[in-house]
Amino acid sequence: MARPIETSGGGSGVAVDTAIALATSRADAFDLAARHSRRVRFLKLALPLAAVALAVLFGGYTYLAAPPSIQVKAEGAAFSEGKLVMAKPQLSGFTRDNLPYSMTADRAVQDPANQGVVELLGIDANLPISADNIAKVDAVRGIYDREGNTLNLTEQVIVKTSDGMVAKLKSAYLDMGSGAMKSDEPVEISLDGSKITSDSMSMLDNGKVVVFEKKVRVDIDPARMKAAQNGSGGGSAAN
Amino acid sequence: QDSQSRLSGLKLSGDQPIQIESDKLEVRESENLAIFTGNVSVTQGPTVMKSGKMTVYYAKDGGSAATGSANIDRLEVDDKVYVKSDKQVATGDRGTFDMKTEVLVMSGKEVVLSEGDNVLVGCKLTVQMKTGLAQVDGCNKGTKGNGRVMMSITPGSQKK
Repeated sequence: MARPIETSGGGSGVAVDTAIALATSRADAFDLAARHSRRVRFLKLALPLAAVALAVLFGGYTYLAAPPSIQVKAEGAAFSEGKLVMAKPQLSGFTRDNLPYSMTADRAVQDPANQGVVELLGIDANLPISADNIAKVDAVRGIYDREGNTLNLTEQVIVKTSDGMVAKLKSAYLDMGSGAMKSDEPVEISLDGSKITSDSMSMLDNGKVVVFEKKVRVDIDPARMKAAQNGSGGGSAAN
Repeated sequence: QDSQSRLSGLKLSGDQPIQIESDKLEVRESENLAIFTGNVSVTQGPTVMKSGKMTVYYAKDGGSAATGSANIDRLEVDDKVYVKSDKQVATGDRGTFDMKTEVLVMSGKEVVLSEGDNVLVGCKLTVQMKTGLAQVDGCNKGTKGNGRVMMSITPGSQKK
């Protein structure tokens, strides 16, 4: 496999329109690096962003069996230190039930020598749970493994849904193949005045079963729950 | 025959915060239930309930079992039950608590209801949580019990 060509400067805005195995001939590399175009055409490379978006949907909310329609855009990609770094990858599409979803990240980094893995930094996703309930997911960092079809969110993950649920996790490991999610670090889930905390959590079977373990604690504040339920229907800020 | 006593303390008031702790909690969203297992303890105000296992059945209509915000239909408590409130303590093998009727029923080989030194022993304790009215039923003949409730009142304890 040709050794990836070191491009100097690694400026952004390089138009990339071929599969990630870019390291073609030396001339092309110079050509890519030299060309400077703001407009970025769709990446043909099926960077597994699509799968990453699906993965960021927690098991409980995944419902994407058939591959949805996907649009992949990026503000620019460049080679730096031998890795393909894509700025502001954006991904949007529609789920099986035709609900729009979108996901962006500050950067996606992929080592051409190991294309099965994409590192995503600054993940921000809007994922519909139902027509009127959208989950906003913020994850600091995620490693997506294409073969394993897994996404390892190694740092803080915060999920906020429009019906007022807030889930805070220190990390989360998602296995999209089996629709399972696991976190071996403290989690906190709150909604309308009730809160569940525990030191580990796992979600099986696309969220049909959620298991909390190690120091499980549930605090229910009936007064606030009633207020929230007959108030604006969960609009109250969770604690 | 049964005997009644007022369990004033054993009231679950609707809007006081409830705190549940356990080793494990399994939420089965599609079956609308949540199962707490391992050192389960439920606290609301002065009332504390402890048991090995508690299953919470959610009403089908609203909220989500995953975050405990759905309204609860009933609780089933197994693996030894201990309920303490102010002055009364009740113990048994199992218990069910119906949130709509607010009736707690504890049953087992030996259900004990005690208040200070007064002790009632039978096979079934029914408590109307709204009023605190508690009724202990003896073990029926079938289980070689004599159907009578054993009651021991310690003289002098009434004068407290």
